[in-house]
Amino acid sequence: MILVAEHKKPQHDLRAEKYLNPKKLYVPLAQHTGAQSVSCVKRGDVVKEGDLIAKKGGFVSADIHAPCGGKIVNIDRWFHPNLKRSPAIVIQCDGSKKEYSLRAGIKDLKKEKLLEIIANSGIVGLGGAAFPTHIKLSPPKPIDTLIINGCECEPYLATDYRLMMENLEEIFKGIEIISKLINPKEFIFAIEENKHEAVKKINLLINTKKFKLPKARSVILKSIYPQGGEKQLIYAALQRKVPSGKLPFDAGCLVHNVATAFAIYEAVYFDKPLIERLVCFCGDALVSPKNIWVKTGTLLSELFEAKILEFKTDPKKIVCGGPMMGVNLDCLDYPILKGSGGFLFLNRPVVDLRETPCIRCARCVDTCPMNLLPLEYAKLVKKEQYEFLADFHISDCIECGCCSYGCPAKIPIVQYIKIGKKYAPKNN
Amino acid sequence: MHLKITSSPHLSSKINTSYIMLQVMVGLLPATVWAVYLFGQRAIFLIVNCILSAVISEVLILWLRKKPIVIGDCSAILSGLLLALILPPSTKWYAASLGSIFAILVGKHIFGGLGSNIFNPALIGRAFLMAAYPKMLTTFIAPNSINALTAATPLALRKFSQAITLNKDLFFGNVAGSLGETSSLLLIIGGLYILVVRIADWRIPLSLLLTTAVISIIGFRFNPLNGDIFFHLLSGGLLMGAFFMATDPVTTPITKKGRYIFGVGCGIFIMLIRYFSGLPEGVMYSILFMNAFTPLINRYSAPKPFGG
Repeated sequence: MILVAEHKKPQHDLRAEKYLNPKKLYVPLAQHTGAQSVSCVKRGDVVKEGDLIAKKGGFVSADIHAPCGGKIVNIDRWFHPNLKRSPAIVIQCDGSKKEYSLRAGIKDLKKEKLLEIIANSGIVGLGGAAFPTHIKLSPPKPIDTLIINGCECEPYLATDYRLMMENLEEIFKGIEIISKLINPKEFIFAIEENKHEAVKKINLLINTKKFKLPKARSVILKSIYPQGGEKQLIYAALQRKVPSGKLPFDAGCLVHNVATAFAIYEAVYFDKPLIERLVCFCGDALVSPKNIWVKTGTLLSELFEAKILEFKTDPKKIVCGGPMMGVNLDCLDYPILKGSGGFLFLNRPVVDLRETPCIRCARCVDTCPMNLLPLEYAKLVKKEQYEFLADFHISDCIECGCCSYGCPAKIPIVQYIKIGKKYAPKNN
Repeated sequence: MHLKITSSPHLSSKINTSYIMLQVMVGLLPATVWAVYLFGQRAIFLIVNCILSAVISEVLILWLRKKPIVIGDCSAILSGLLLALILPPSTKWYAASLGSIFAILVGKHIFGGLGSNIFNPALIGRAFLMAAYPKMLTTFIAPNSINALTAATPLALRKFSQAITLNKDLFFGNVAGSLGETSSLLLIIGGLYILVVRIADWRIPLSLLLTTAVISIIGFRFNPLNGDIFFHLLSGGLLMGAFFMATDPVTTPITKKGRYIFGVGCGIFIMLIRYFSGLPEGVMYSILFMNAFTPLINRYSAPKPFGG
């Protein structure tokens, strides 16, 4: 665990804006963990906002809906932040709007019906991994604790914080639905101490007892990175360790991001599928950072063409996601996905690329939140001795980046680990 | 737009190798200044000689190995300074140069250069001189003496003449000894500094000092001539070794558990040598000995993965 400069100002205090009338959308079929969705429209079709355009491609998969009404002009490979290129449905938007109305009889909805609504709304975990939520909400083991993750430990990003500040009641309504589904004994709202304004609001809402929740409490955690990592969060909030290679339900708990809870609220209350999300755009290359509600599939370049975002200077680096775990983009033609919480546009050269010999200072060992020996991975991968990587438990690595961050020799340890994971022989 | 594509993370701390080395040198500064005050010109010559020899041999060896010539990481400068501080003030210039060259060549580059060496280079240099010039390395001069009167170190006085040095003199550094090891107070200040700025891990110094303290208390019970706890903690190269030699990142364990083992091991061997061997002091050999065990300690003290 490390202390990183937060860089959360000023985006932390900027009200969310809206850009919900894009001209053209590129909706990738791979926006979640698991099987890619299968397109169920063809070129020339006209769709309305919220129409199903791609169905689940397997058990672990999610539906995709038309973020805007318009005409399908193409289905072809397009830029994708994580996969480089992936098939995408291209929609020429017609500017039509859809009004969402409150669903009747929400209180009487059965569990099965609720789960069906969530599954048919294409909701995925919005914390980053984009795991289909309906699967996470039907765990094979009983859950005694539900944790809502409002940590947002990545520097720069302020998406979850803004959502908590502006839509906290809705988030709590979403949490109500989640707890109805999995029936936990206890509910914990986990948040870092640097978000004190949100903490006040959360405690207020917990104390009003307006919501049908189990025994609820908020847990204020230290602002260190990676506090919001699922396993680190469970340990910090509950002192429970998720066994290596297992999932949180093996430790009797379930972690959901605040944005996911909000998406569940919208799906259940308004029958609105996951087609838009709050994204934080920041970094020193922008004239001013912004938090904007955008449709999934909007291209970054369109935001710049529409003068929603403006460059102060040429960026040297564009990062999709947070600075610690995000991926670099090579142009602005990338679409915003369901799981994209933020984009960084950095001007100053932030990472020194001159690698020098490892002096075995073990800063990486001291800071590794998974108690691993990162320097050994770098050494083994450099020598291409992939067969020994499993002895050092490389599969437990969460690629949080603490090791590379603190390395005085500037060794890109995470890069070596990613290579190592690819070539390490799989042992069961 | 010229965009850089790298692996995550896209932030990095400001700390780098030369910063670490410079901070260690800052930690050594009080003891170095004190050495110059006590031994005057001799000290200055010795320090400059050792550092220059180390840097020049580093450049030559890197050139011969066809490696990029990097002096900016300050590792050779630090090795030279450390060697100078653990040599007797009366060491001849050729011996000091030879020790420096040996430290860099055999102590460091034979194993593959910075980061790959098994033994602490400065200690290797001193061990070599101990074998090559045993008389020179065991002859010390009295502090502040103009005519370079020879004098015995407190540990040698205890061992060979059963004479006890005042703790006050040991603490403030008014005794004979190697350049940088005379003043306990200044070594503690410098040592605490590198612990506070997190350049060195506190586990090794703490376990090393605690082990020597415990053994010396027991030893004193058996025979008061063994010297008491303060005598053993403050004399010889113990503090220098504990704070600046046993905390060298390259040659000490990378695991937290391993660091305790390393410190305890050093402490035990130091006291064994002080009590039972023909030598008055054993910090150098103990640390070198434990350096050899570092890979083994690392292997058996690897932490369990989180949740594993």
